[in-house]
Amino acid sequence: MNGEFVLNRKSALTLVALIATFAIAACSEQLDAGKSCPLLCPEQEINLKDTLLDAISTDTTVTGIPPIGSETFLMLSSHHDTVQTRAIIRFDTLQNTFTAANAIDSTISRIDTAQLVLPIDIADSLHKPTGPITLEAYNVDTTASDTAVAALAPLFRPSRLLGAKTFAPESLLDTLKIPISPDTILDRINNGTHLRIGLRLVSAQGFDIRIGTTLNGNPATLRLKVSPDTAVRPLVIQPLSNTPPNQNFVSGPLADFTIVLQGNTTTPVTRLGVGGLPSRRTLFRFNIPNRILDSTTVVRASLVLTQTPNRGVNPKDSVWVFPVAILASPVVTDAGTLLRFVSGAGFLGLDSLRMAPGDSGQRAFQIVGLVRTWHNTTEEVSPNAIGMLSGSEAQLPAQIDFFSTAAPAAVRPKLRITYVPQVNIGLPK
Amino acid sequence: MTRSLSAGLAFALLGALANNSFAQAALSTQGFGFPTGQLSSRAWGTGGSIAEVDPLSPVNPATISMIGTRLVNFQIEPEYRSVSSSGGIDRTTTARYPVVFGAIPIKSWVMSLGASTLLDRTSTTVFPSTEPINNSERVETTQRERVDGAMDDIRLAAAWAPATWLRVGLGIHGIAGHNLVAITQSFTDSSQFATFTEERLFGFTGFAASAGVELISKLFMAGVSYRQGANVQMASNDTIITSARVPNHFGASLAYTGITNSSIAVRVAHDNWSSLGPLGGPGFNAVDGWDSSLGADLAGPRFLGRTVFLRGGFRYRTLPFQVDSNTVTEKSITGGFGTTFANQRVLADVALIRAIRTADVPATERAWTISIGLSIRP
Repeated sequence: MNGEFVLNRKSALTLVALIATFAIAACSEQLDAGKSCPLLCPEQEINLKDTLLDAISTDTTVTGIPPIGSETFLMLSSHHDTVQTRAIIRFDTLQNTFTAANAIDSTISRIDTAQLVLPIDIADSLHKPTGPITLEAYNVDTTASDTAVAALAPLFRPSRLLGAKTFAPESLLDTLKIPISPDTILDRINNGTHLRIGLRLVSAQGFDIRIGTTLNGNPATLRLKVSPDTAVRPLVIQPLSNTPPNQNFVSGPLADFTIVLQGNTTTPVTRLGVGGLPSRRTLFRFNIPNRILDSTTVVRASLVLTQTPNRGVNPKDSVWVFPVAILASPVVTDAGTLLRFVSGAGFLGLDSLRMAPGDSGQRAFQIVGLVRTWHNTTEEVSPNAIGMLSGSEAQLPAQIDFFSTAAPAAVRPKLRITYVPQVNIGLPK
Repeated sequence: MTRSLSAGLAFALLGALANNSFAQAALSTQGFGFPTGQLSSRAWGTGGSIAEVDPLSPVNPATISMIGTRLVNFQIEPEYRSVSSSGGIDRTTTARYPVVFGAIPIKSWVMSLGASTLLDRTSTTVFPSTEPINNSERVETTQRERVDGAMDDIRLAAAWAPATWLRVGLGIHGIAGHNLVAITQSFTDSSQFATFTEERLFGFTGFAASAGVELISKLFMAGVSYRQGANVQMASNDTIITSARVPNHFGASLAYTGITNSSIAVRVAHDNWSSLGPLGGPGFNAVDGWDSSLGADLAGPRFLGRTVFLRGGFRYRTLPFQVDSNTVTEKSITGGFGTTFANQRVLADVALIRAIRTADVPATERAWTISIGLSIRP
């Protein structure tokens, strides 16, 4: 190895480093240009086309969705003869022992106090009652069909009253406690039977209270003080449903649910509805021409609905209305079932609108993200359908109504599509 | 009313301008792209004047016969481009790897296999526009048009020196490559509109054959080559869309070699790019072009025991694709140097090119290109 070779190697390394530097710099391409447009730009002709289609093949409103037991909140409503609801809470297992101060389990032989503790959704200042409200708790245990309104409604009578309490508006904070008859609870414990409590709201003016549920992880509880010893902690009993027996999938959600005694149970054929009491959802099926769906690129799809005023309950209280994707398999055809298997809000960029029941006029829901998934598919693979629901369903009585396809032509639902026809890109002209 | 009328007029003017312009946002990347020239870094240093007598430039197959040993050559060529117009200045950087090849002597022949870029179409154009949806509604959009890819020339060449003053060579060429064209139209109002995206991949398949001669005397060296183009097809999704002819090429270099280890050369070349015309859409036009250059490759000072070659040149040529029916021309001033390393096993050439591209339109393009070539004798 001589000195010249060393020099050469050093120089070669320097050159390689130099070349590598340029190579790396060259790899960092910056190609974006456009300031000389339109003079030098290709301006591929991407023409937007817009069309308003009578593409809704069927539309239908299904009442009773979500089904009882699936509510995020128990909605206790009292709006005189317009809306009346009741909340049912099941305590199908009541323990008969407690842990005494000496850490020994003892049988419950007395109950000093019993309270139903209700976590409530804090009312905002606009929705506080102007006067006191009363919550009444009834024994709604029955051998009849124990989820049927017809069977449960008559049980809210004075002879079955377990307890009641009146609350001033300012006391409606986060938890309400209703005293329950200790003797009734002790009787249930001693006999090993279940306890089912029905709640009724009594208010001079229309009012709604939302109570936590087992579904949202913050349910009503039964608080029992079973010993005069202050060292013994009160028992807290969670709602639990064992009926129908041996059907946990069905019985579990029925630990707490809402029934509607009085409400808008029907939807006229010329209308579609979302929300309300009982809660409802609407299903739209589309028949979009293949020449648009399969042969173009849809860049905007607006479901244009005409809202018609519903002046029933709280007509000025706005709620969110969401279009949702249908997730059920195409073999499912029943509208009610389809509307139970839906995507979450905002899925595929589906847009929502906030509207008040008393409003009217055209509303456009942007559903392009979903419509694009129907490109080059068949109904057997992906049903061209969409659901519509209220963001406050089963939580507020607000019901938003739209005209249906059975309404006069001018106000029927329509689908407005903006699309780019097939373009022959890439060839220099 | 006045505002909407103004908007309508502006849109109509924009549309009219747009309909008359069909190119990329640079003068050099119109049509199927920029012809990099198939020149080595060494040839670039002389403005391209020695291309027909340069074994590292894949134009004249006869020249490879002077490669006396196995050789691998690789070249990188970043271009820093600015396009000035009334709308402002666009500055872009394009990475190119325009020449790669290997050569091996087999008895009295030298064989070579390599690839070079015939037309580089890589570019991206981004521009805002206002699109009408119907008679009453317009929407703000941003259109992004990206083109990746090139048309490449893959050459298998063989050369032979039947006499000390004569070298001859033949080449067969496969024209290959692709253009990936992607258009994205995004909307300012993303709550209503979803982005439109479309991609299309074009593949090229074609053939050509070339022949070349190199004549050597004590004072002069001359090289002449000719490439005869055959059919070239453009396909998308396995469907042949259109076909044309590979451009014929003729080139001749004359170099004075009376100065030791130096040459002063002139070159003219002609490409009939118009034969690519049928590949484009209706109205697409490519023009034949002359390529003329003058330059010198001079043995310079010795540095670290090695001779450093200094180069300079001037080039003038016509680019194949027009802007708005106006022919684009390019003038280049070049300079460079080259030397050997590692016991002459590594040959390195560097060239710096300053190019100005113009046409009869209110836009000018200027570019700095650095060409770095590395040849290694394994």
